[in-house]
Amino acid sequence: MMDWLQAHPMTVVGLVLWAVGVLWLMPGKQAGSTRPKIPGLLLTAAGLFAFCLSCGKPQTQLADEVMFWVFAVSALLCGVLMITARNPVYAALWFALATLATCGLFLLQSAPFLAAATIIVYAGAVIVTFLFVIMLAQQSGAAGYDQKSGQSVMATISAFILLGAVAMTLQQEKLEIGVPVVVAKAKETNSAVAPTPPNMSAMMQASGSGSPAGLPTAPADAPEEKPAVPGNLLSSADPDHAVGDLKGLGRSLFSDYLFAVELAGTLLLVASIGAIALAPRREQGAL
Amino acid sequence: MTPEDLRFLLVGAGLFILGAIGFLTRRNLILMVLSAELMMHGVSMTLVTFGRIHQTQEGQIFTIFTLTVAACEAGLALALVLSLYRKSHSLDIQLWSELREPDMPAPVQDAPARIDDGSGSYGDTPKLTPAGIVPKDPPRTKSSAGASSART
Repeated sequence: MMDWLQAHPMTVVGLVLWAVGVLWLMPGKQAGSTRPKIPGLLLTAAGLFAFCLSCGKPQTQLADEVMFWVFAVSALLCGVLMITARNPVYAALWFALATLATCGLFLLQSAPFLAAATIIVYAGAVIVTFLFVIMLAQQSGAAGYDQKSGQSVMATISAFILLGAVAMTLQQEKLEIGVPVVVAKAKETNSAVAPTPPNMSAMMQASGSGSPAGLPTAPADAPEEKPAVPGNLLSSADPDHAVGDLKGLGRSLFSDYLFAVELAGTLLLVASIGAIALAPRREQGAL
Repeated sequence: MTPEDLRFLLVGAGLFILGAIGFLTRRNLILMVLSAELMMHGVSMTLVTFGRIHQTQEGQIFTIFTLTVAACEAGLALALVLSLYRKSHSLDIQLWSELREPDMPAPVQDAPARIDDGSGSYGDTPKLTPAGIVPKDPPRTKSSAGASSART
């Protein structure tokens, strides 16, 4: 742990600044005590920058770098502003902005369908429903329970300790996630291994040219070192379709996961019936 | 795992942590549900990143199912919030702390929320001298009557 602290001082500084900023912006124990917002915002932004800076220097183009920074910082900053907003309407709007930024990050990760679906579901349906409920149920005047927060110091400190632990685990040298298992199919073809598409544009270029993009980039010595793991049929890399390819996604969704899709449809039906049954009736004196 | 994947994983963890802080600290029922949705965003981000690390479709497919469950959860949670609001006429979670264990201490009661009942409870508004006949039974709006009875 001490090694990690010495090797990554930027992460620790970022986490501490971020936590202090969140605590500053959080409503206090007494109602009506309003601190100025600017120092908290500055602290939070500085902490976010330090936290994201500490993740190493990736080899990407400038445009991807700029887009990642814009989306990541705005997602996290909108999250902070959402959980510290005094007004629930503002909180819902900040949540919508955080959703948009998350969808931008999905796009950067070559998941265009997922980004579109998330925008449609969240910004189109969920946020509107939340705003309706807020307008139905909000009392006139400023509600006291929005001006106060319970246990904010304990919650923030423990949550940021948890985040620091996650960062420490992820930044350890020996951690190896996703050492690609070379599937038999990929071995058979033995085609030129395309590099991992770092972003959506590269993926689109690669898939446009028809080369088998998205093939795992196996290190040259990986098969010798590791025993050949027979890849699970359902979760092996598919060399025919790049990750996020809509065709491959739909094919996998409606063939491998057909039962789960039907189950999700049933779940939606049950949830809609439950919501109708739970919602207060008009004759019961609704609202 | 490249440093770029590490960045996305850390952003997902940050979103999850922010949602957790919001869920633990805020006392508005709607804001608690919103914070849970923010935690769901963090999980989705992590799933998509893992799917890209392993170069499989499963990360995105699981995220689609997560999205379905989140939509169901939002609908049900808002129906629950509305029926709770109908009972207590407030969105305060602490009004429901009587569901606690019997040996736990009672929560500290807050001052009632400031409700604009038209009587000029704001400090800096000018007060007019009452004039004329006081009406017998002054009509009260339903919401303020319910809220004040729920508070007392």
